[in-house]
Amino acid sequence: MRRALAATFFAAVLLTACSSIPGARREIVVLAASSLASVLPQAGAVFEQTHPGTAIRFSFGPSSGLATQIQNGAPVDVFASASERWMDAVASKPGIEDRTIFARNRLIVIVPVQNALGLAKFEDIAWDNVRLVLASEGVPSGDYARSALRRAGIYDAAIANLVSNEFDDQAVVQKVAARAADAGIVYATDTSLSDVPPVKAIPIPDRVNLVTPYSVAIVSGSSQSALAREFIAYLLGPGRSILTKAGFLAPE
Amino acid sequence: MRRNDGSGRATAALAVPGLAFVLIPLVALAVRAPWSDAASELTGPAARAALLVSAEVSMGATALSLLAGLPIAWMLARTPLRARAAVRAIVMLPMVLPPIVAGVGLLEALGRFGLLGGLLARAGITLPFTTAGATVAAAFVAMPFLVLSLESGLRALNPRLESAAHTLGASRLYALQHVTLPLLRPHLFAGIALAWARALGEFGATITFAGNLQGRTQTLPLAVFETLQTDPGGAVLLSVVMLVVAAIVLGLTGGRLIAESAR
Repeated sequence: MRRALAATFFAAVLLTACSSIPGARREIVVLAASSLASVLPQAGAVFEQTHPGTAIRFSFGPSSGLATQIQNGAPVDVFASASERWMDAVASKPGIEDRTIFARNRLIVIVPVQNALGLAKFEDIAWDNVRLVLASEGVPSGDYARSALRRAGIYDAAIANLVSNEFDDQAVVQKVAARAADAGIVYATDTSLSDVPPVKAIPIPDRVNLVTPYSVAIVSGSSQSALAREFIAYLLGPGRSILTKAGFLAPE
Repeated sequence: MRRNDGSGRATAALAVPGLAFVLIPLVALAVRAPWSDAASELTGPAARAALLVSAEVSMGATALSLLAGLPIAWMLARTPLRARAAVRAIVMLPMVLPPIVAGVGLLEALGRFGLLGGLLARAGITLPFTTAGATVAAAFVAMPFLVLSLESGLRALNPRLESAAHTLGASRLYALQHVTLPLLRPHLFAGIALAWARALGEFGATITFAGNLQGRTQTLPLAVFETLQTDPGGAVLLSVVMLVVAAIVLGLTGGRLIAESAR
């Protein structure tokens, strides 16, 4: 038993060690906000097809956590942030080039499709019996959600309903889809995924909603800045249709 | 017996890389921690709340594992059982599963709309997003350590000693109290220490099943992860706290007793 376990362990270590495929391809690493996880891989796949010999690798997470990783020396060529705050942080250390806003987004309330509580409008999430999940403070979608609650004058009541601070917006979608929570606030694009778990969207009125910018830049120290520049140009040009199809707003 | 032919020294030399592998990251935490911020970071409400939640959750989970695990260990060690290997494999599964899978399973089973969700609701029990839920998640992953320790303890224990006690007129309870439990104690404590340590470090099942809310379900590991997103220095300080807490408890109880039971 013990020997079998040990053998399995070493096999796993070997597999992990072999999984990085060597090649003469030009490759860039893109660290991107988790709300982009549904669209950037599509854009990357099309880019790779139209630019033979290139590979775009993605890693998704909260912009806050990605910025911290970059500041701690993560090897990265391109950073796509859901907030200006975390792009500013990377701009100050280690530095960036070609910073551009390439898309914008807005917030919605999501509820399970069953919507057992019958929530119908944004203000309803302040009802007494609602279990609300948000992204943590610091995570862009979490910060934006709290701003929207403040603008609507329901911050205190809604925060009293908060049962969990999730580490990114995707985790908020999962908690609501699993009906563990009654409502969450995420980006409008988070429900437009094709393989999305079943959630229903409730719009947040324009007067309290935020239009949030996504910016992209080449991170200083990139050894593939030419390819990084090409990929950013693609996102601003031919790739834009993929973003708008997923519900992102144009940069201006 | 001590041997002085140099093989001891050779073994020690071979053990050094492994020891360094374990120690260097721990030393790095202590070296890189921004100690000048320690007072403000560690006495802040977030750190204190996480410490309290972690204490409650890890001790509750250990108690729960002991209650649920002791009968399983007894059955595995002492009763004729054809499916023993299968039962043991089931008990061990949570050690091998990614904790996130455990969390998803708990949600589907004990969540509000899970298989047993209705039953729990009627009993007035809510687990997701509660401290009780975090405790259940930690117990789920910690219990195998207790069961395995206790089973090996019960196996090592010679049943003839208990029979002898019976022959000499001891009641079952008296034999349990004065023969079985004292002999089992090192394994019991080792199992408790291991299960507690696993519960203290629990992350994936907790975030998936119980979420992350300060003072309710945010344990130390969750606090470390959340802090790491925006304040790496603070995360290192919190990690040092976890390290110290774990070292103290293992130093006081576990280390010696685990070694004893492995002997």
